[in-house]
Amino acid sequence: MNSILFLILRRMRAPIITVIITYTVAVIGMTLMPGHDPDGNHWQMSLFEAFYVISYTATTIGFGEVPFPYSPQQRLWMTFSIYFTVIPWFYAIGKIISLAQDPSLKQAFITSSFSRGVQQLQEPFYIVCGYGETGSLLVGALDKKGMRVVVVEMLQERINELELEDHQSAIPNLCADAKMPDTLLKAGVRHPMCGGVAALTDDDHANLAIAVAVKLMNPDLPVLARAENDETAANMLSFGTDHIINPYTLFGDHLAMEVHALGSYLLHEWLTGVPGDSLPSPACPPIGKWLVCGYGRFGKSVVENLQREGMSTMIIEADPELTGCDECIVGSGAEAHTLHEAGVTDAVGIVAGTDNDINNLSIVMTAREINPNLFVVIRKNKRFNEPLFQHFNADITMDPSDIIAHECLAHMISPLLAQFLLLARAQNNQWANQLISQLVEIVGESVPETWAATLSITEAPGVLSLLDDHVEVRLAHLLRDPSNRERAMGMVPLLLVRGNEQILLPANDTLLQAHDRLLFCGQASAKASLPLLLCNRKSLSYIIDGKEIADGWVWRWMRQHLPN
Amino acid sequence: MNLEKVVFGFFIVMAMTLNFGFFIGEIDNPLHHHVYELYAAIVVNLIATVLKFGDRTQIGAIHLATSLVADLQLIAAAIVWVVFSGSADDSITITRVVSLSGGALVANVVSVALLLAETITLRR
Repeated sequence: MNSILFLILRRMRAPIITVIITYTVAVIGMTLMPGHDPDGNHWQMSLFEAFYVISYTATTIGFGEVPFPYSPQQRLWMTFSIYFTVIPWFYAIGKIISLAQDPSLKQAFITSSFSRGVQQLQEPFYIVCGYGETGSLLVGALDKKGMRVVVVEMLQERINELELEDHQSAIPNLCADAKMPDTLLKAGVRHPMCGGVAALTDDDHANLAIAVAVKLMNPDLPVLARAENDETAANMLSFGTDHIINPYTLFGDHLAMEVHALGSYLLHEWLTGVPGDSLPSPACPPIGKWLVCGYGRFGKSVVENLQREGMSTMIIEADPELTGCDECIVGSGAEAHTLHEAGVTDAVGIVAGTDNDINNLSIVMTAREINPNLFVVIRKNKRFNEPLFQHFNADITMDPSDIIAHECLAHMISPLLAQFLLLARAQNNQWANQLISQLVEIVGESVPETWAATLSITEAPGVLSLLDDHVEVRLAHLLRDPSNRERAMGMVPLLLVRGNEQILLPANDTLLQAHDRLLFCGQASAKASLPLLLCNRKSLSYIIDGKEIADGWVWRWMRQHLPN
Repeated sequence: MNLEKVVFGFFIVMAMTLNFGFFIGEIDNPLHHHVYELYAAIVVNLIATVLKFGDRTQIGAIHLATSLVADLQLIAAAIVWVVFSGSADDSITITRVVSLSGGALVANVVSVALLLAETITLRR
């Protein structure tokens, strides 16, 4: 703010000095001109009167000849003063107005209000660089989950979009290049409440620059970066980027998960979804021969994962030399004869994975005409084509922005969630299905809330004070309704982390210890009521033994000193 | 030599000398204090103030503050002169005006002292 004031003052120097000088000359001249009062006596204007006259003349107000009619000499000087003072006056006003419209001043105003907004954040927040398709999805989801976000984006149009959207909490945003370390500093990279940075621009180099800059400025800050090239990813890794997100490998990974463990996949989708959304319907890819159209980064990842699952694949690629494909059928895949050549009639599934939406749609439509039973996986590149894809209704639609946003959410909601998902992936399908049915019983068919809690002195003073008094606190106690101990809250403990030990789906009678970290999943009401049990010793001890304890200085003293 | 520095120093010193010229003399004798000198002092002081705008350094801030003090006192003196001239004894009016300008003079002296201090500490 200070710098803006100085900027204004500095620019206003010349106009103000011009005004002062012209006034001075005009006022002096006015006092020197001889005149006459109505009685014919010699009269000269005093300095004050002259200043008064010049003031109303220069501002073009014009009260006339005050206090007496002027002599010809005075009128002559007045004529000169009018042209002499009015022009600098307008020059000064014009300068003020042009200053108000000055782009650099406007930018200075916006930047300073942005950094003030960031400095005033009192709760943990994430910095999202790049508000494209992925960024907007992620920001919307984080906002719905009640987390604070700061957005940095290069293009003004996208910032306008962000401002038009309806968000729960204010989102400080800045239209600036996130590659500039200064921008990142303003966005709060060194802010004590900053929880992490997500570099989600569509430019790998920009993401790399952001990741490097953040790691140099604040090495402890988690960085999630999107990278589509392997070299960029390797470079990011060497700088200690915490999570590198490649949408293509991720999708391949997910597809493989869908093939061999649908339950685990669903669990993943569910826990990283936006609360309130409905559950994605499960689609189980069939086993057999698959056609893959387009052997780019996406196609390669799909082929690799399908082959690992023991499926045979047939690749259709328009430019085999560019993509480095050894064994394939040359063609775009949109023509019936190429599909026939690849053996579409005896295939069980087709993957349309080129980087052109219209081609992809055309491929799967042709293929389905030939073989209506095909399982269709289609890659969506542009978000604005969404209605076309909805209409087509493929078995699986791969949306890179959606995948990246989900992956970011998994890491941002809590580090525990990412840990849980990793462990869950190692479990078998049956385990996942069981957990899903348990969750459905509790929260119904919509995406549940997922949250973490740490039994620390700041987050759970109530639990710790009971533990200090050697009271046994079990996990089951935290799952009760604080207003009625008979009733269970709608939540499921997913993970308990104690030191290096990780307990997946901890049993209800687990004894809690200080510094345990817990991951829960369940209804929003349960999430809201849990802090009461964690913080309030009285509520928790009521849950444990059903007795309301008399808690006050006098009562405690009496209990300790008087028997019964 | 830097023309900007010349102009800057000129106005600051001029503000002080004019102020001093108006102030010097018997405090209650209107003959010793000319209205045009006060007028010139005000104008030069205003210009000096504007020249000090936009300097972000600590010393720049003090510079600006001293000038604002001098402006305030000199303008107050001019207002007193306009309001009381004719209504009270001339010697009483001029006493008030000159004492106000004396206050402004101190501020101007501080301003010049700062200018000198700044110049002396400047090494090259």
